[in-house]
Amino acid sequence: MGNRWLALAGVLLTFLAAAGGPLANGRAQQPGGGSTVPASEHQKVFERYCVGCHNDQLKTAGLSLSSMDVARVGERAEVWEKVAFKLRARFMPPSGRPRPDEATYEALIAYLETSLDRAAAAAPNPGRTDGLQRLNRTEYQNAIRDLLGLDVDVTSLLPKDDANHGFDNVSLPGLSTTLLERYISAAQKISRLAVGSPVRFPGAAVVVVPPDRTQEDHVEGLPFGTRGGTVFPYNFPRDGEYDIQLRLARDRNEQIEGFYEAHQVELNLDGVQLQVFTVEPEGETRTLQDGDGHRFDDALHVRIPVKAGPHEIGAGFLKKPSTLLETERQPHQAHFNKDRSPRPQLALYSVAIAGPFDQVGVGETQSRQRIFVCRPAKASNEDPCARTILTRLARRAYRRPVTEMDLQMPMRFYKEERAEGGFEAGIEAGLQSILVNPEFLFRVGKSPANVAPNTAYRISDLDLASRLSFFMWSSIPDDELLDVASRGKLHDPAVLERQVKRMLADARSDALVENFAGQWLHLRNLDTQVPDPRLFMDFDDNLRQAFRRETELFFKSVVKEDRSVLELLTANYTFLNERLAKHYGIPNVYGSRFRRVTLDASSVRGGLLGQGSILTVTSYGNRTSPVFRGKWILENILGSPPPPPPPNVPALAEPAAGGKVLSMRERMAQHRTNPVCASCHNLMDPIGLSAETFDAIGRWRTRGDDGLPIDAAGSLPDGTKYEGVAGLRQAVLKHPEAFVRTVTQKLLTYGLGRGLEYYDAPAVRGIVRNARTHEYRFSSLIVDIVNSTPFQMRRSQ
Amino acid sequence: MIITKKALPRRTFLKGMGVTAALPFLDAMVPALTAMAAGKSVDRLVFTFIPMGAVMAKWTPPGEGKLSALSPILDSLLPFRDQLTILTNLELAKAYGSTGADHATSNSTFLSCAPAKVTEGSDYYLATTADQIAAKQLGKDTRLPSLELGTDLIAQVGHCDDGLACAYQNNLSWSSPTTPLPTEADPRTVFERLFGEGGTAGQRSADARRNRSILDAVTKDIARLKLQVDRADQVQVSHYFDTVREVERRIQKAEAEAAESPEAPDRPSSILPALWGDHVKLMFDLQVLAFQADVTRVITFQLARETSARTYPEIGVPDAHHPTSHHRDRPEQLEKLAKINTYHMSLYAYFLEKLRATPDGDGSLLDHGIYMLGSGMGNPDVHDHRNLPALVAGGGNGKLKGGRHIRYSERTPMANLHLTLLDKVGVKLDSFGDSAGKIPELMEPISL
Repeated sequence: MGNRWLALAGVLLTFLAAAGGPLANGRAQQPGGGSTVPASEHQKVFERYCVGCHNDQLKTAGLSLSSMDVARVGERAEVWEKVAFKLRARFMPPSGRPRPDEATYEALIAYLETSLDRAAAAAPNPGRTDGLQRLNRTEYQNAIRDLLGLDVDVTSLLPKDDANHGFDNVSLPGLSTTLLERYISAAQKISRLAVGSPVRFPGAAVVVVPPDRTQEDHVEGLPFGTRGGTVFPYNFPRDGEYDIQLRLARDRNEQIEGFYEAHQVELNLDGVQLQVFTVEPEGETRTLQDGDGHRFDDALHVRIPVKAGPHEIGAGFLKKPSTLLETERQPHQAHFNKDRSPRPQLALYSVAIAGPFDQVGVGETQSRQRIFVCRPAKASNEDPCARTILTRLARRAYRRPVTEMDLQMPMRFYKEERAEGGFEAGIEAGLQSILVNPEFLFRVGKSPANVAPNTAYRISDLDLASRLSFFMWSSIPDDELLDVASRGKLHDPAVLERQVKRMLADARSDALVENFAGQWLHLRNLDTQVPDPRLFMDFDDNLRQAFRRETELFFKSVVKEDRSVLELLTANYTFLNERLAKHYGIPNVYGSRFRRVTLDASSVRGGLLGQGSILTVTSYGNRTSPVFRGKWILENILGSPPPPPPPNVPALAEPAAGGKVLSMRERMAQHRTNPVCASCHNLMDPIGLSAETFDAIGRWRTRGDDGLPIDAAGSLPDGTKYEGVAGLRQAVLKHPEAFVRTVTQKLLTYGLGRGLEYYDAPAVRGIVRNARTHEYRFSSLIVDIVNSTPFQMRRSQ
Repeated sequence: MIITKKALPRRTFLKGMGVTAALPFLDAMVPALTAMAAGKSVDRLVFTFIPMGAVMAKWTPPGEGKLSALSPILDSLLPFRDQLTILTNLELAKAYGSTGADHATSNSTFLSCAPAKVTEGSDYYLATTADQIAAKQLGKDTRLPSLELGTDLIAQVGHCDDGLACAYQNNLSWSSPTTPLPTEADPRTVFERLFGEGGTAGQRSADARRNRSILDAVTKDIARLKLQVDRADQVQVSHYFDTVREVERRIQKAEAEAAESPEAPDRPSSILPALWGDHVKLMFDLQVLAFQADVTRVITFQLARETSARTYPEIGVPDAHHPTSHHRDRPEQLEKLAKINTYHMSLYAYFLEKLRATPDGDGSLLDHGIYMLGSGMGNPDVHDHRNLPALVAGGGNGKLKGGRHIRYSERTPMANLHLTLLDKVGVKLDSFGDSAGKIPELMEPISL
């Protein structure tokens, strides 16, 4: 690459020579082998199949390819990447038009991609991440956790973030007045809580059990022998007395639900029983309640001393030796709705915690231990100790070594407040000023002064450390990563790979599961999914949470066991508890605990496409949506999102009803008689229809909502025909690169915090190529992403 | 559920969780607040957005001119007929875009009457919305220039229209063409924005003082930051100074208020009512409260989001709103959609009733404010943006005459209405968005 390289990016060369830059040794970047077919042949194919419509005269879809020369793809890489994408997805030529045979398709695509990769290697364009990338809500929460050892519920402190390009860390808006106000108030609350400052007046938190949660079975985390209830962590701000108040669930007539006999409720703190309450109905059970029956709740109250810091509160009912479950609704397991699936026994509505009353003292918490690395014994030690504490905090918060300048403001706050409220109040004020500093709230990207405009440059080791930690942990770097970066060692590929592996093994990489997979797979939308309770009597929050848990544990197993990402589609195992196993019809799984279950060869459940979470978030509340499912699979599995609908789609004419019941497939076929709709629905519908054997909450079925047998024939945009989801899986695996490319694109978008552009395509292809030689292992994707041009470099302004 | 320093009868609370949705913390604080809003009748403006249009055949009242009978959907507004104007045949021409992202533009043009720049990135560009133009004037004297509320707590991913950034579909209010203002749906958070964390006057003044010096620090930090970013990003950083100044103004205001009022009201807990309808009522209650305490004078409320898939089993519509809105003129679908529309309007009637029942100077909050409700779509089945649901309630301090049905024969820009309403609250503009004039009828007494 020498000569051309030198001419194009002179400044960069020194970086690369010194550092062994990503292009010099990045194993992901080598383009594939050359082609023996001369360019002129490819030009002929291109002109024959593409230029017929996309020429200067017709300009179909506003695109003319008349003057395009396949021998010089580097000159118009943006257009050529689009051409390559349309060909690869088999979106073009459109079905119905003459198409080349598969070998010709593949040869032209390979030629174009190889040429594009060569051109990119000669003149890399790493793109430009935003100069100011604000921490989103999740990142802020994790940063506070890692900086201060404090779990705060940030949803109550900061507004939600909009998602762009599928992820809420992409292209966030800057600092609005609303945000700044919220940051200021969050900094105040967090620094108070972390330092353990006196509480002005007792606070209160109410944890409400979701109203559609069934409480008949054991809840994981509560003692065995209990059923229902809830368990949750709570941060007690100070040593002191706290009120805990339980309330029982009501039906819609404000009557305590399922109150037919005496029940016992057990209240726990950190798994230790605090108290067992007995509630007993008086007289005629069904008519006893005057009004709201509050006197029963009144008894479910304790005031207890609690030490400051995080504790786990649990409350559940003691299980009856023989539970008389109503049988009329068997085999349904959902019991939360008076009219359709009533609760047969008492259920918990909420747990309220109030306090502290009679604050005893500050207590010793993990946060305080982390903050107060020194404790001044006499006044003269206070200022040096404060300096030590605030230096440490600022370094982690700003993710770089701190200067004297950086300390001026925190020390000023410390001194002012110390004069009035003492040493700890001073630290609290200093911390508060760190938490509102834009260098904490934003990741700042600045072009080095010695780099020419619009030139690729390697980002600093410290910036790389932040990219790495926000990618893998959705949080700030830890001390080790900062140390390595501060010493200028992080860009060394061996060191970098060691750090990546270490970070993957760390529990903080669970962020890749909850945050990355939660968004990629739309698991976050589960909470807003409410299937029609009349049609899906057996859906409750227990099932919703089990869906999410299954997919999270499954994705986590691929990450932690470093499996091939293809196993996301093909695995012969999954994670189930009794509730979910029953839903799937899988026998011999008992209890609330999730465990790995090996699936039979004949099981329909292997891989993401058989999981209730995915099947439910791609459905409406009252029926499946082949369109949603098809679009979801095209976007998130095949990486070929269909083009957006054309403007002003006309209303579909209602077909003349001939009295015949139409199946979902027939109804969709009628939609596609309109050519405007057909162009995209021809891509989405056949895929979505092949998943019709799963209903809107992911149950297996052989007949549709209409009662007609399901025809699960499907086809991919390239014309591959298959049968059902099992067939889809096999069809996708015939060309596994499409799926690996999709995962790579999603990870890279998320890792960079920006949408991908045409100039990122060569890097993505390089990563996919290299992953193949590593059996598509998850870690190899991560390592190659971290080593890629867009991740390691940036274009100057 | 709340646990307050003043013990509230539990009974009240439990009632609150039921159908009545009486909110004890709100009731408890009213005496203190009435004193705070000492007899001023100021201009106030509320925009309420309903998603995905309506069944217009059942929305539009018969006839024109004097408003006598209402319509099946609007029936619950009958008690307010004399302070109500229905406008028929308004249009949002700028909502027709090149991408077909009609849900996004229904939301984004509702208060901007401007086209959305086609992008899915952060380079979105719209316009300053009518509520924010009003807020710049009406907000000068209040701590919060405006309040942006919604009912959707969880930001959805992957459920925004193709071709346009989610910002267009989520945010109604834009304080500049590049600054969407996120909605807040958590009642407790709204409450804290209105009244802070509470405490004694001394504690609250101390908080405000600390916040001011924190702001000084932020200003200095931003000045340093400006030196550390590329030239291209310096413009953005410069805007942050404006942000800081605006927050500073609000804090000064809070300081002054802390000195005036001896005690802040009790806070609600962050508990959400189990029923969505109760959540909506709570958000309406907070709006009334914000006016009572004169914390703000401009509010925008997104009753639900475009493409909302909320189901309404409580009114016998277990189907999701969005697919239902694609009714294809089938009678049973239309009936379901009309039920949803009617339910939304009954919640709005709750708001108007509350406003009417709340004294404000020599009248009520309803007498003195201007309350506009509408949607960005007419017939949601075809995603059109003409013949939109639109109404104005309230007396506007004597500047509005109700009891009228203005029925345009020609499609008329909704911007005309916004321009007129801005005029009523004292913001004189020559034009707004794609406006083609004002609506003088809103002012004139009816003589039939």
